[in-house]
Amino acid sequence: MRLSDHEQAMLDGRHGAAKQRAMAGLVQLGRAFDAPRMVEIGYAHIHAGMALYLDDVELIEDLAQLGAKMAVPASVNVANTDMKNWRQIGAPEKLVRLQRRAESAHHKMGSNCAFTCTPYWAGHWPTWNTHMTSIESTVTIFCNSVLGARSNRDGFFAVYAAITGRYPMFGYHLDVNRRGTILVRTDARLDGTSDFSALGFHVGRMAGDGVPVFDGFANRPSLDELDALGAGLATSGGVSMFIVPGVTPPFAALADAFAGERPPDPLVVSRAEIDAVYDYFCPSPAAKFDIVHVGCPHASLEEMKHYARLLSGKRIADGTELWISTSRGVRRSAEEAGIVRELEAAGAKVISDTCPISCHLARTVSPDPALGVVPPPIKAVVIDSAKQAKYVRDMIQCATLLTGTEEAVETALTGRFVSRRAPARV
Amino acid sequence: MPAEREIAARGIVEGTARGPALVAAEAISFLGDVDILSGTIVGDLPSVHGKSMRGTVLIFPYTRGSAGAWRFLHQLHKHGNAPVALVTASVPDPSVVQGAILSRIPVACAPAQDLAALASDGDMIELVVSGERATLRLARR
Repeated sequence: MRLSDHEQAMLDGRHGAAKQRAMAGLVQLGRAFDAPRMVEIGYAHIHAGMALYLDDVELIEDLAQLGAKMAVPASVNVANTDMKNWRQIGAPEKLVRLQRRAESAHHKMGSNCAFTCTPYWAGHWPTWNTHMTSIESTVTIFCNSVLGARSNRDGFFAVYAAITGRYPMFGYHLDVNRRGTILVRTDARLDGTSDFSALGFHVGRMAGDGVPVFDGFANRPSLDELDALGAGLATSGGVSMFIVPGVTPPFAALADAFAGERPPDPLVVSRAEIDAVYDYFCPSPAAKFDIVHVGCPHASLEEMKHYARLLSGKRIADGTELWISTSRGVRRSAEEAGIVRELEAAGAKVISDTCPISCHLARTVSPDPALGVVPPPIKAVVIDSAKQAKYVRDMIQCATLLTGTEEAVETALTGRFVSRRAPARV
Repeated sequence: MPAEREIAARGIVEGTARGPALVAAEAISFLGDVDILSGTIVGDLPSVHGKSMRGTVLIFPYTRGSAGAWRFLHQLHKHGNAPVALVTASVPDPSVVQGAILSRIPVACAPAQDLAALASDGDMIELVVSGERATLRLARR
């Protein structure tokens, strides 16, 4: 692997211990994947340091201790608790204190403590051809597919990239991998983020780690719908990028998406396949549920306004919990607009920094036993996102009831599950 | 000392380790296939189901993807249940490579001998990875 003088100096320790450790890791990673050289990155979305995993916060504290500073704009991914309004989700206080240590370390290093899986709604908007990296695959796919930035699905080393400003040149940093591998044609009527997340989940199962190209959308999907589509694709498959001709830079037309080659025979998706995803995550629609959740990926301000329209002047049913998860940045905007007050008046809990699967409800975590974290019993969670559904099933290990956003809110208001497949909608 | 055989492989993560082989015929995901708190393989992997990967030189064809795999490998390490080395046929996912570097677990891939014929469960193996060269040392069969 060819290194510039500056990169070699970082590797040799001439720019401090943190950059040396980071560059040594990146060089090994680059060698493993035959990267010819490093690229200069313009943005990184990095690990929070997670309080529900043993010595994981310490990974971030160690870097801060070594004197690490962010060389590029860096936003922090989801954490394991809401660090401000933690009482409303019943988080153990010891867990909160540990999580806040990671926050302090990030402040010291100059990270933006966004604590979100949708940093773009918090102002991080990398542009066309910006090399970047992300620890969250939903961020990777949004930035590749909607913004035209260049990112791999990354892990802990996203923070090493942020510290050095470099990443090995492989994967989606290379043009050769940024082209369609399968063609998806859909005539299904798709309405709202839950339908797009179901479409993504369905296609992701067949796309492997390829690049699906979508043809046939009746309208240009909204930014929230594109985000939901990517989240679905990245959940069921290893997808890092999709292409919607006319939306994904620089692919203006279908032919561009396949680099001038003849597009393969299309995978046709009809409404029946979308409905099948809802059915897959509703194995027993009569199940008793504890929590209704919306805001996966973390809600945008547009989504917060939508929830407020659905809930304004109403009150959720007794014995029902409605969790709305968003970033602390969007929450602040929503507070200033009076939206959070409206949502809370309806009985909803507005949660930042985390979400049901990322907090102490998860059963697949491995914390320091001294924290005394005991996941509460949960019967079922109603959700409007195929991504959250998959991980509720795998991590909270309880039943799921997947439905649309409006139906999820209706479920919370009535206390009875409202299916996306109700006769009125068919 | 018994005669040894040496098998060359491609070095992925540097380091030296020694332990008994555990040979899986199936791909492994560190998210879901292994219980972090015991090291026991709980996934649907018939060849190794119920066995512990703790302290082993884990030999398997390839990793199944999860971008979170690094964290689960690192958690296995922190809870004292990680393999001492990984040997795969094809290059593991970037996330697994990162987890191995963080946890100082050497990794080699593409050994010069078919995985199935490489070793049996319990055979002692020493793996030395230096740069892009890796060597596996085993007692001669």
